[in-house]
Amino acid sequence: MTPPDLRALIADSLALWEVQGRVMVLEGGVVLATPDGARLVVRSATAEDRPVRWWLERPGQRRPCMGIPGLLRTLRNALGAGEAPVGRLRMALPEA
Amino acid sequence: MTPMAAPEARIPITVLTGFLGAGKTTLLRNLLRDPRYADSAVIVNEFGEVPLDHELVAAGDETFLSVATGCLCCVVRTDLTRTLASLARRREAGEVPRYGRVLIETSGLADPAPILHALLLDDTVAATHRLQGVATLVDSQHGATALERHPEAQRQAMLADRLVLSKADLVPETTVLEARLRALNPTAPIRAAAQGEVPPEWLFAQGAHATDPEALAAWLEAMGRAARHSTGVTAIVLEREAPIPAAALTLWMQALAEHAGARLLRLKGLVAIAEAPERPAAIHAIQHVVHPLEALEAWPSADRRSRMVLIGQGIPRHWPARLLAAIEAEVAEETARRTG
Repeated sequence: MTPPDLRALIADSLALWEVQGRVMVLEGGVVLATPDGARLVVRSATAEDRPVRWWLERPGQRRPCMGIPGLLRTLRNALGAGEAPVGRLRMALPEA
Repeated sequence: MTPMAAPEARIPITVLTGFLGAGKTTLLRNLLRDPRYADSAVIVNEFGEVPLDHELVAAGDETFLSVATGCLCCVVRTDLTRTLASLARRREAGEVPRYGRVLIETSGLADPAPILHALLLDDTVAATHRLQGVATLVDSQHGATALERHPEAQRQAMLADRLVLSKADLVPETTVLEARLRALNPTAPIRAAAQGEVPPEWLFAQGAHATDPEALAAWLEAMGRAARHSTGVTAIVLEREAPIPAAALTLWMQALAEHAGARLLRLKGLVAIAEAPERPAAIHAIQHVVHPLEALEAWPSADRRSRMVLIGQGIPRHWPARLLAAIEAEVAEETARRTG
């Protein structure tokens, strides 16, 4: 996934969560700046970091994410945009 | 888990919904006058402490129940599933007439989605009942205003398998209202009704919950056309040439549910699964509730592309496709990593 692709996905996600912010491709990753001054950086992990695929960085903190779903969940929680309820998917009962 | 009866043995449920004053009770009363449908159990949900609607429906036997403690979609969902289970038990025990169908009239303020969730997810209900469809009444006179002002009215229209324009005798010209409804729900048949008269066989036809591949393909095609040509539709169409790995599809649907669950009214699709591309998987979801993937016997046509349609409110148009692409790339990389 290229940084511009990641930028587009995160920008759409912010719109979905109704969070204001600017998303830019910078510093070897994607930087997210919100109006309240929060600054988050998403970097792609290297092959040596596997199974970690993404790092979410904020001042004094660096969190690993195993994939895009985990990255979006962590990002949403970091932004305080309503905790994404994990595993909320529910299966309807099958037709017999 | 409660043992499940064969689909044909389960009692069909039709949900009758519509905004306040749309004429649900009148329609229900007419339906019950028809001797062919006299074997219906009726559940009326009334909003407020003093039940009124049930007084207006001349059913009056033991299979008529009023759930009156609040709005069905947010307060008495458990009551609904308990009521259905209890009714089925009493039916088997011969304590009530052996009814052949259930009609649920929701309150005018109900969002049908949570009600459908309750009907689909409760194993006791699903063991004995099956959801046949959702019929939504829209007032020919005041429906446009309700759709404009009330999200509940919009959601009632969007989730309908059948749309009934009530009070058609009062308003002969409904072109604008029909266009508005088409924008919200491009595939549900629309029928005008005067004095609450609707052919029951039309109203009780199997709804979109059936997984007939041709019907599903037709639905997807119609939704695709609407999404491309109508600015008012919040339908997002995804088409993929390459089959999608099952793991990617599962992760994608889980992320949809997690981040867009409340905004996602419906998701349907015919998907080529990479592990078994000859048999398309039918996917269905209402908000965050997803039916198990169903592998169909064959594709309905020579077109083997995966097609998925999301109907939602406030979902960025490209977000689902971007999300799927990102997840697919990770799954492909992980597969390659593990297989060396």
